[in-house]
Amino acid sequence: MGNVNGTTYGLTILSPILEDNRLDICHSMELRWYLSQLPRDHRSPFAQLSSTYLARLVVMDDVVFVGHPACQEHLKSRYLVFETNFDGDLDTYLRRMATETKEFVDDVWRHCVGFPGTGDARAFIAYMKKCQLSTTFFFADVNDQTVDSTLEALKAQAALAHFMEKNQGKSAAELQRAFGEFLERLRTAPPLPRGGDESRAIPQEKRRHD
Amino acid sequence: MTEIDVSDIQGFALKGYNFPYARYLLLELAEPAAARKFLYQLLKVVTTGERWDINSKPMSVVNIAFTFRGLAQLEIPLASQLSFPLEFQQGMKARADILGDSGKNSPEKWDLVWREDRVHAWLAVNARTADELEKCCGDMLALMDETQGARVVQAQEACALTINGKFSPKEHFGYTDGFGNPDFKGAERDCVPGQGKLNQDGGWEALATGEFLLGYADEAGELPVAPIPHLLGRNGTFMVYRKLHQNVGIFRSYLEEKGKQYAGGKEKLAAKFVGRWRDGTPLELSPDQPQPAIVADNDRNTNFKYSDDLAGTRCPLGAHMRRVHPRDAFGFNGGLVNRRRIMRRGLTYGEYVPEGQPVNDSDERGIIFMALNASIFRQFEFVQQQWIEYGNDAHQGNDKDFLLGNHEGKGRFVIQGTPDPQNPPFICGGLPNFVELRGGDYFFLPSLTALAMIATNTVDPR
Repeated sequence: MGNVNGTTYGLTILSPILEDNRLDICHSMELRWYLSQLPRDHRSPFAQLSSTYLARLVVMDDVVFVGHPACQEHLKSRYLVFETNFDGDLDTYLRRMATETKEFVDDVWRHCVGFPGTGDARAFIAYMKKCQLSTTFFFADVNDQTVDSTLEALKAQAALAHFMEKNQGKSAAELQRAFGEFLERLRTAPPLPRGGDESRAIPQEKRRHD
Repeated sequence: MTEIDVSDIQGFALKGYNFPYARYLLLELAEPAAARKFLYQLLKVVTTGERWDINSKPMSVVNIAFTFRGLAQLEIPLASQLSFPLEFQQGMKARADILGDSGKNSPEKWDLVWREDRVHAWLAVNARTADELEKCCGDMLALMDETQGARVVQAQEACALTINGKFSPKEHFGYTDGFGNPDFKGAERDCVPGQGKLNQDGGWEALATGEFLLGYADEAGELPVAPIPHLLGRNGTFMVYRKLHQNVGIFRSYLEEKGKQYAGGKEKLAAKFVGRWRDGTPLELSPDQPQPAIVADNDRNTNFKYSDDLAGTRCPLGAHMRRVHPRDAFGFNGGLVNRRRIMRRGLTYGEYVPEGQPVNDSDERGIIFMALNASIFRQFEFVQQQWIEYGNDAHQGNDKDFLLGNHEGKGRFVIQGTPDPQNPPFICGGLPNFVELRGGDYFFLPSLTALAMIATNTVDPR
């Protein structure tokens, strides 16, 4: 069992990284540099994939020896570790990766052994599944909601708080009328913008504790 | 039973002196040999945590703490310097992003003395009378003169407010302050109900010593991160110093305006902001009116929990006091808050303006807030970031603390209510900054042994 919790899918991919001694800068180093330059806000490629809760890409050179009594062990290769949580099924998500973030996927996975490119989506999906590990434990904060429905709910909550602040103290009749108008505005509000749009997110404070 | 050597611990770490006068001398230290000479002389006068004989209570007390720059200036060994926790080495200014000190609170807006990074030490004099304060500060200046070991960059005055001709425990917004401080094992006084941590029987007991003093086990049963050698850290602690300017005019006009709209009235609204009526009565114990008898009773004035008020209809979920000391509000019998406690010290500065009189918010007026804890990162910084500048733990989303939040005119405070017409739900929007940060830093408050080691240049990390 694994990979699925409610309607959330937890994906773990380990793709072996190419080794080429003839290069001035090895693949893993180039990949590290590329990943470090990726935007982490609404311009992130994963923001384009609007069903993504969170995603993480790590270059793993080897396992770390933690000292006696552990024994020294080594990986057969360097790996690109890709972890992501998203709504829905795996094939749809991978197909979206291959089509909607094609350039990004090619830039990253071209450093990996056996990557077929994104030109043939079916080949890409097969490749990713071959690299997949079963994910037994992952973060699924809102199991039975999608990213979109959670964002919609948060927007409605923020709008309701604003409505309450503006209308508190009104008579019952006035309040009822205003609430009717509010509900109508909510009902006819435009749908959430596409993934990657800055206005899609609820304004969040910057949170960092390092 | 934890025993602590009170004669080795600075008095400031163990007790609030409750003296009405204070002056915080912010010092720049001279070259190391002269600075050490000054500290050596100071050793004789630094006040320890020893119990005072009832007949010989001192008229003034002296304590000292150092910034990381100060310890570097004293040239303690590099291995010791680098063993201090990262946040202390960085100092408060570098932590602005983490603390939410942006906009009006950002370091470029601070007082010059804090912008310039010149403060090496905080030499605090607390006194019972203005004359004694002058006398003791005069002695300190003479010592600096004689040894040429330090000079005063700025002297920050602080004084209890005078209201109706008498010293008052109130702060500028009119709230009685200074009720709660966490009890910890080994401290002199018995545990006061409501001030330590909750135990399994629903009662209160003292927190582990290592939450507030270095060199002792903390709530996790571990020694807090401390500098090497062990003796340099043991019996010392870390202090956060923040000069908090209070916009009394903005606060009063906001309260006046919203008080007219709130059916419970202005004073009840003021109580909802903080969780106490302005006389100090906790809302949890008396939601409908202030009760002076509760305020006067030390067994009752901090003795309450939030588990019977999880909806916040007595004390709002986002009330200042409930945010910064959530007690059992997050469940687990309070287990989630025991490692986030801070010891508060502080005193007001500036003249009190009586209600109804015009106030100029550009006058110097506020609180010198000082917090003591074993880990600035785990305790003060967490409280500041998660409970003051954010609301998720209190189920308040992005809303910030009403009083201290860096709202920038966009803040919101929600008061949960009941069908009772005197206790309706109410939302305060458009919150301005009632308090602005004017500077400060992180300090190390050493033990007497550590101070002697620094003064005699015998700190040996080997």
